[in-house]
Amino acid sequence: MTAGAALALVVLIVLPLLWLLRGSIAGPDGITLDHFARAFSNRLYLGALLNSLQLGGWTALFSVLIGVPMAWAVTRTDLPAKSFVKLTASLAYLSPPFLLAVAYVNLFSPNAGIVNAFLRDALGLPWLTFNVFSMAGMVLVTVTHTFPFVYLLSHSALGSVDASFEESAEILGAGKLRTALSITFPLVAPAILAGTLIGFVNAIALFGSQAIIGLPARIFTLPTRIYSLFDFPPQYGLASALSLILVAITVVALTLQRAYLARRSYVTVAGKGVRASVVLLGPARWPLFAFCALIFVLAILLPYGALVAVSLSKSWGLAFWQNLTLANYRFVLFEYDVTQRAILNSLGLAALAASLCALIGALIGWIDLRTRLPGRRVLDYVSLIPLGLPGIVMAVALLQFWLATPVPLYGTLASLLLAYTARYLPLGVRAANAGLRQIDPSLEESARMLGAGWGLTLREVTLPLIRPSLFAGWLLVFVPSIQELSASILLFSSSTITLAVAVYNLYENGSNEAVAALSIINMAIIGAAIALANRLSRNAAATSGAAQT
Amino acid sequence: MRADIRIAGLSKHYGAAENLAAVDNLSLTIGEGRFVTLLGPSGCGKTTTLRLIAGYIRPDRGTIHHGEMLLSSPETAVPTERRGMGMVFQNYAVWPHKTVFENVVFGLKVRKVPSAEARRRVEAVLALVHLEGLERRFPNELSGGQQQRVALARSLVVEPRVLLLDEPLSNLDAKLRERMRGELKALQRRTGITFIYVTHDQAEALALSDGIAVLDKGRLQQFGTPREVYTRPANRMVADFMGLVNLLPARVERDGTVRAGALALRIALPSGIAPGDAVDLAIRPESIRLAPVPAGDGAVPARIEETSYLGNLGEYQVSLADGTRLRVQTAALADFAIGSTVALSVDAGQASVFRKD
Repeated sequence: MTAGAALALVVLIVLPLLWLLRGSIAGPDGITLDHFARAFSNRLYLGALLNSLQLGGWTALFSVLIGVPMAWAVTRTDLPAKSFVKLTASLAYLSPPFLLAVAYVNLFSPNAGIVNAFLRDALGLPWLTFNVFSMAGMVLVTVTHTFPFVYLLSHSALGSVDASFEESAEILGAGKLRTALSITFPLVAPAILAGTLIGFVNAIALFGSQAIIGLPARIFTLPTRIYSLFDFPPQYGLASALSLILVAITVVALTLQRAYLARRSYVTVAGKGVRASVVLLGPARWPLFAFCALIFVLAILLPYGALVAVSLSKSWGLAFWQNLTLANYRFVLFEYDVTQRAILNSLGLAALAASLCALIGALIGWIDLRTRLPGRRVLDYVSLIPLGLPGIVMAVALLQFWLATPVPLYGTLASLLLAYTARYLPLGVRAANAGLRQIDPSLEESARMLGAGWGLTLREVTLPLIRPSLFAGWLLVFVPSIQELSASILLFSSSTITLAVAVYNLYENGSNEAVAALSIINMAIIGAAIALANRLSRNAAATSGAAQT
Repeated sequence: MRADIRIAGLSKHYGAAENLAAVDNLSLTIGEGRFVTLLGPSGCGKTTTLRLIAGYIRPDRGTIHHGEMLLSSPETAVPTERRGMGMVFQNYAVWPHKTVFENVVFGLKVRKVPSAEARRRVEAVLALVHLEGLERRFPNELSGGQQQRVALARSLVVEPRVLLLDEPLSNLDAKLRERMRGELKALQRRTGITFIYVTHDQAEALALSDGIAVLDKGRLQQFGTPREVYTRPANRMVADFMGLVNLLPARVERDGTVRAGALALRIALPSGIAPGDAVDLAIRPESIRLAPVPAGDGAVPARIEETSYLGNLGEYQVSLADGTRLRVQTAALADFAIGSTVALSVDAGQASVFRKD
């Protein structure tokens, strides 16, 4: 079993990474640093690097400016409609950024964007229009996806600082502001920083939004530059070098986060029975609510409203009500064989990848936590490496590895399955790990004491108890797999096209209305999966809850 | 006038329902420089009372004065940060991101004390709580007892006139708790600060306090010295809460004797109880004596049903002729076998009588 897990990790992660390294330093005659030299000297690539950093920086900043006040408002104030604010953050977290980009283009493209057209033609306010094809547009679209990272981590940190920490400062004579600045903020700063760095890492790795907004604006970033290097003839060496630079930025950010967290993590200091202090804002809660509502409008209402409206239009424009049709749905669901194939491919791939990740994750988690095998820590560590690998980097690595082997994987669904499984394996491992940690080993030891072998124990005790966690892991993998674009865009062929790639291609061909319909179908699949999961996990909790307490 | 804490008619409700009173019409005067404990089971309102005094919450009715100054009323409240009090929390609330020195100096910084003087005062207070030399440590490098002392030092360094303590010893192990108890009491004597102490541990309250206020369901049950609340409990709840007690249904006879089955005791009756009344008789296990038969006046025969050896004490379950079971604690020297018959007598001066609830 250990050998199986180790083999899976080697094939999925270690070997492709080695080939990526090899590709970045392989020249016509032996080892060379030419690719890196070109990456750092050519204005095209240096510019892409700077744009990526700029995008990441702005995105991180605005994620903090949105996520922290929202988290504070929900955890520490008498803000009205808190569940609505929480829902906003969850929905924004689930929204695929490339769909948000498509939606924002429909709203704010310089000429046809409906908001711009409305401001310019109907209201006569051309100076109020906003061109989405800009760095600002790219940041706006990315932030609507990344602010939930800051929000979620700040939320849990603010909710776990016991009120007594703040009350101690107050009784010593510190006012509200001083208490906030010298006690509360330092206590939650590590969590905010962690969320910010995760937001940064995500922002620079997103291919779809950067391509959809950046390419028309001629703003290239590392992922879009890497993508363009695969135009014929593909330049593997340079693509590998750029990929490693992207990985380096990611790894530095994630290492910073880990190092800082390890040094000072205060979040769980108070332990059980945490009571968060709540500020009664009175009338001041309404401006704060307006701020949260604005985020809802920008992150949810406008983009999804636009997608729904476009998907129901014969052609997108101000004369919306004269134009209603369901033809776009009929087209993508029943008439166009490419989108039909894409939907089926994505469903199958996501289900398989999720199952593989849950299985391998359970195996690795079990080896790590329940055995004394040498090397079990390495196994766990290697399985988390993909967290630092942007999707397009994974694709560049896999492509080179599989091209070097005699197995004809290129252009098959199997290559996509391997890419998804490798990319999202950390989610499966984390979920299984969390599940196993919740189960006291004595539950398994009791079974052994009663004479059950380890196989029977696993089947009768362990697996039933961690089933909810495994299922949560399955869903965690299924949702991003359905909408995977960054790796698929380099690995697909016409017969293995996926949902996200179909959206992207239709968009490139200018079929706006079909894109919108397909986007809505994409979101419907995700929504159905989550609703199903909620229902199943509620049932599972009812049956296994008694066993865990 | 001295700076007493005077609580008058204080009420605080949580939630909409009027009957959910956390504190209900509480009146209490805590003298300056006293060590007063608010004692009661969980949910009795003791912590709410403390938080009302600290000013974290505002009362629904009633007032709190500190000397002549009105601290809290439903309409106005002096903000917590201007009450000049100190508070020690159950979880210590030592700030994990600050060193010991930074924790302790915080209150002085807020008061803009010059840094040289602040340093001197921090050192002095750390010496007072025996934490010399740990200034640069972070809280996660300290034991629970040491964190407890940091919390104390942090409150004491600003020389508060009132120190509020919310179950400060309940997270320590038994041995350390005992030692900190002694230190707290000595500290209070030395500093002369008014201590208001919240606990649910009646032994702790007895050992520490000048005065104990027993609370139950938000209401004050009794306020008196430790000796008073232990030996002269005002009602059945106080008697039960203050330690082990035998509670027997009894009746007052015409001559004023209190009779519970075979037991008849002559007890000074509290006002409001007259001959013929049904009452509860409360007898502490240690005010019952056992002797080998035959014994003298007033003794009744009893049978030893169960014994346990507690080291410093011997404990017996005995039954009287009418079936009444009593718990008895004696000096460990006495040694009666199960099944043997003994002569049982009660120190009537230590027994109490309450009207039936």
